[in-house]
Amino acid sequence: MAEKKSTTKKTESKKDTKKVAPVKQEVKKQAAAPAAKPKAEEAPAKSPIDNLAKAEDARIGVFICHCGTNIAGSMDIEAVQEAAKTFPHVAYVDNYKYMCSMPGQTVIHKAIKDHKLTGVVVAACTPRLHEPTFRTATKDGGLNPFRFEMANIRDQNSWVHMHDREGSTDKAKDAIRIAVAKAALLQDLHPKAVPVEKAAMVVGAGVAGMQAALDLAAAGIKTYLIEKDMSIGGRMSQLDKTFPTLDCSQCILTPKMVDVGRSPNIELMTWSEVHEVEGYIGNFDVTIRKKARGVMTPKEAEAKGIVGGGCNGCGDCEGVCPVIKPNEFEIGMKPRKAIYVNHPQVVPLIYTIDFTSCVKCGLCVTACGPEKRAIDLEMKDEFVKVKVGTAILATGYDIFPIENKQEWGYKRYENVISSLEFERLICASGPTGGHLVRPSDGETPKRVGFVLCAGSRDNTGTGKPYCSRFCCMYSLKHAHQIIEKIPGCVPYIFYMDIRSFGKMYEEFYYRIQDEGAKFIRGRVANIIEDKATKNLHVMADDTLLDRPIDMEVDMVVLAAAIQPAADTNRTRKLFGVSCSSDGWLLEAHPKLNPCGTTTAGVFLAGVCQGPKDIPDTVASAEGAASAASIPIHMGEVELEPYFASCIPEKCAGCGMCVNLCPYSALSLVEKDGRTVMQVTEAKCKGCGTCGGFCPGGAIWMNHFTTPQIVAQIDAFLLGGEQ
Amino acid sequence: MSESGINHKFAFYLGCIAPNRYPGVESASIKAMKKLGVELVPLKGASCCPAPGAFGSIDQSVFYAMAARNLVLAEQMKMDIALVCNGCYKSIWEVNHKLKHNKDLRDAVNEVLKEVDMEYKGTINVYHTAELLYNDKFIGVDKIRDSITNPLTGARIAVHYGCHLTKPHKDREFEKEVMLNTEHPVWMEELVAALGATPVEYRNKMQCCGAGGGVRGYDIVHALDITNEKLINLKEEKVDALTDICPFCQLQFDRGQIEIQEKFGVSYGLPVLHFAELLGLAQGMSPQDLGLDLHAISCEPFLKKVL
Ligand SMILES: Cc1cc2nc3c(=O)[nH]c(=O)nc-3n(C[C@H](O)[C@H](O)[C@H](O)COP(=O)(O)OP(=O)(O)OC[C@H]3O[C@@H](n4cnc5c(N)ncnc54)[C@H](O)[C@@H]3O)c2cc1C
Ligand code: SF4
Ligand code: SF4
Repeated sequence: MAEKKSTTKKTESKKDTKKVAPVKQEVKKQAAAPAAKPKAEEAPAKSPIDNLAKAEDARIGVFICHCGTNIAGSMDIEAVQEAAKTFPHVAYVDNYKYMCSMPGQTVIHKAIKDHKLTGVVVAACTPRLHEPTFRTATKDGGLNPFRFEMANIRDQNSWVHMHDREGSTDKAKDAIRIAVAKAALLQDLHPKAVPVEKAAMVVGAGVAGMQAALDLAAAGIKTYLIEKDMSIGGRMSQLDKTFPTLDCSQCILTPKMVDVGRSPNIELMTWSEVHEVEGYIGNFDVTIRKKARGVMTPKEAEAKGIVGGGCNGCGDCEGVCPVIKPNEFEIGMKPRKAIYVNHPQVVPLIYTIDFTSCVKCGLCVTACGPEKRAIDLEMKDEFVKVKVGTAILATGYDIFPIENKQEWGYKRYENVISSLEFERLICASGPTGGHLVRPSDGETPKRVGFVLCAGSRDNTGTGKPYCSRFCCMYSLKHAHQIIEKIPGCVPYIFYMDIRSFGKMYEEFYYRIQDEGAKFIRGRVANIIEDKATKNLHVMADDTLLDRPIDMEVDMVVLAAAIQPAADTNRTRKLFGVSCSSDGWLLEAHPKLNPCGTTTAGVFLAGVCQGPKDIPDTVASAEGAASAASIPIHMGEVELEPYFASCIPEKCAGCGMCVNLCPYSALSLVEKDGRTVMQVTEAKCKGCGTCGGFCPGGAIWMNHFTTPQIVAQIDAFLLGGEQ
Repeated sequence: MSESGINHKFAFYLGCIAPNRYPGVESASIKAMKKLGVELVPLKGASCCPAPGAFGSIDQSVFYAMAARNLVLAEQMKMDIALVCNGCYKSIWEVNHKLKHNKDLRDAVNEVLKEVDMEYKGTINVYHTAELLYNDKFIGVDKIRDSITNPLTGARIAVHYGCHLTKPHKDREFEKEVMLNTEHPVWMEELVAALGATPVEYRNKMQCCGAGGGVRGYDIVHALDITNEKLINLKEEKVDALTDICPFCQLQFDRGQIEIQEKFGVSYGLPVLHFAELLGLAQGMSPQDLGLDLHAISCEPFLKKVL
């Protein structure tokens, strides 16, 4: 060990004993549990305070991490170490460059044994990052892992007070003193193992959700795939070709869609939404709302006694339906009926009635006929309950309403379209059979302007501050497509910088340059329509030639920003998942746990977490599926033992807490002839609402006990006196 | 409506260009607004707003302090400010907004104001008269239509909005709540139609007049080049007049046509009127009352059409 090392064998002074006085009073009557002797299989104590740690017996080790220069660069580690030696209960102090490394953890193991420590304090980064690491180290040293307490001297200290060496040094001393005070009173705790339901749920059936579901199913896990739309495939099913390989989106996606429809382990529920979620990792009870579709699948028909009936996708109904509406899948560029499918290749091939426009004439019922009897115009929403062990959110994205960027005239000028509209227009199965035409006159354009970062990387307050990540690449693809399909047509790409970061992407960029696409580095300020010709003047600043530019084109394609799918917010809240300020769902750690969330058992896949192209989306989906299958394959998970406990001798049985608990974890029971509160530990989330409220102080919040918190406050308030 | 017919009173901030070059803007605003239930009470002792480009880009502390002093004068009258110029709006509205939301800035400004025994308190709001005219909370298009005695029937009128009233979009509350469109607004066209005239759209109507931001003072040829481009686009639509809501834009379009003739040798002869002047005409004020003879470009051809 290259670091300076010092040990201390300080025992508590009188003054120290006085300092912890309030704690001592609390624990006086209780028998002390022998410290440093884990009793994993111990029968539950009658009262939670029966096996309290006794502060007098505490021997705490303090381990200060440099985090390279992250911490050591902004504070005086030696001074912190010297101060720590003087704190009550501290039996040993050490510091190391990277406490989380193997040698760092070995320092902890060794010190626990050599110095008979009863508790460990590591002053380092955050519990979010390394609490699990140091709990394991504490356990490996022979202590109960919950005998560990962390002092955050990096994120909440050295990083914020980078230029105040003295201040951060003092603050670190305080943080450690407070942590030591708590560590002296820590108890052995034993996580509860709960069985995990051998089933998973995936919400959203775009390419991310489909891939995740296929992987889970392949791993032998029953998977419920919930999709709010009538069919699966998400945005990818609207695309024509895919960069950089230019393979056809349908050709690579449809086989997967068929596999999803066919997999015996996948229960696909389209036209459905998550309605309610209860429970916790291993045991989520999810209620799904199956929206009234108006049309029965063969299975549903059979259940109703219509043998051999149900929708076979023949489309006879569609022919007779008198209602005409714009088809959303084709972004309104093609009509549909009130009974319809998005496109002919949908999975599942079951028609759906849009009840907001259906006039209930019943013509479709007659057309469907007495054999199939698939249509039920009076169908109502249905609620289905399923139990799953883990869940993956894969709710994808929507296109930002680019008409909000008024300067480009989307929805005002006919020949300004969005990239997604371009995909449909250039696609052989799209509304024009793959012919790119100007909406104003149906003519083939000869000059097409592409506006990149349309609404992305935008700090005006109207657009989105982030990069939408795939628009550069798909615009290059679009440029290639028009050069290929329309002889003599020139794409003009207005860009800020081209982000072609993936495998074979930069090469693709060069290829498109060679094919003759014109690149103009400058953000488009304004687009003006020529009233007579409906041509467009793209006004920009050519920042490479340093001159303003007015480029007349026949058509403009806006590479619109993306945003989280509508309803993402409601759905994420049901699963207790947070989001960042821009609405994308928040991962547990941006680098080390990109698929996990802070809710155990809930994972993220695809664009719902932030913009991703298809390769990254699929990779993230496979990661999420793998992570979500682990608890299921383990068969049981351990719950953090932070539950509330009732101290029966103090409980008056008033029952106030029962109504307060947001998770319905409390009930009143008869015990020894008295009414007392009882906690269902698996339901308790440790929020502390009841503990803070109980007028008799009868609720004991494990790991956040009143004596522990009081000791922390005292250590802070009285601490300066020593 | 109160007995006198007056529903709202505002401290009337004139600015510099209106009273010096286009006095009709002042008289028309006061008279026309009164007919619409709004009394404009002179804001006595006011200074230059100060001009946002000229002052704001050179010395911020002078800029803030001067604008704040004008605001304090209105605070002392316990009245919101109404003004007739986009440039004044940019200075006074924006400084008021910033001072209300930034305590450090407010303290610094008050430190300066102390020397003249003043204190900025943040008790009033600032409005452009165009905004009062359009917003039904104050006046509204219907009321204007009802007040017209001399409809400007048959006149093709184009609108120049100017920049500072609607931009920057992200902190113009009025733009967000009432006008709803920064890049292609049509509310002024509604006002023009209320006077009985035909509003005319033209190419790149939201382009700057060319003068703002100190460009006129710094590089007159460049400024006129922009103005010229606008005039070309306006000529294309065969308009009878251009209306604006900013005396500075008006100066650029009106006097600018003379300068363009001198420098580029083209003449347009396009009458340029502040919306207040148009409103005055439509309510029956005479061209003399409005001082239209003081315009650099004769308003005669237009007047012939509408009177
Ligand atoms: C114009 C354009 C061109 C593109 N071209 C390419 C390309 O060439 N190559 C490439 O790699 N990438 C391309 N992309 C990016 C590609 O579309 C995405 O990477 C991919 O679609 C992301 O898949 P996803 O499953 O995460 O999201 P999505 O495709 O959005 O799927 C999400 C699914 O979840 C459903 N859903 C949403 N909310 C809920 C809810 N609350 N409950 C239930 N279901 C819900 C939706 O209906 C949808 O089916 C392009 C994108 C655009 C806009
Ligand atoms: S007619 Fe009946 S079976 Fe055929 S597509 Fe319509 S609903 Fe399905
Ligand atoms: S700690 Fe919270 S969740 Fe647990 S029982 Fe008390 S109120 Fe309920």
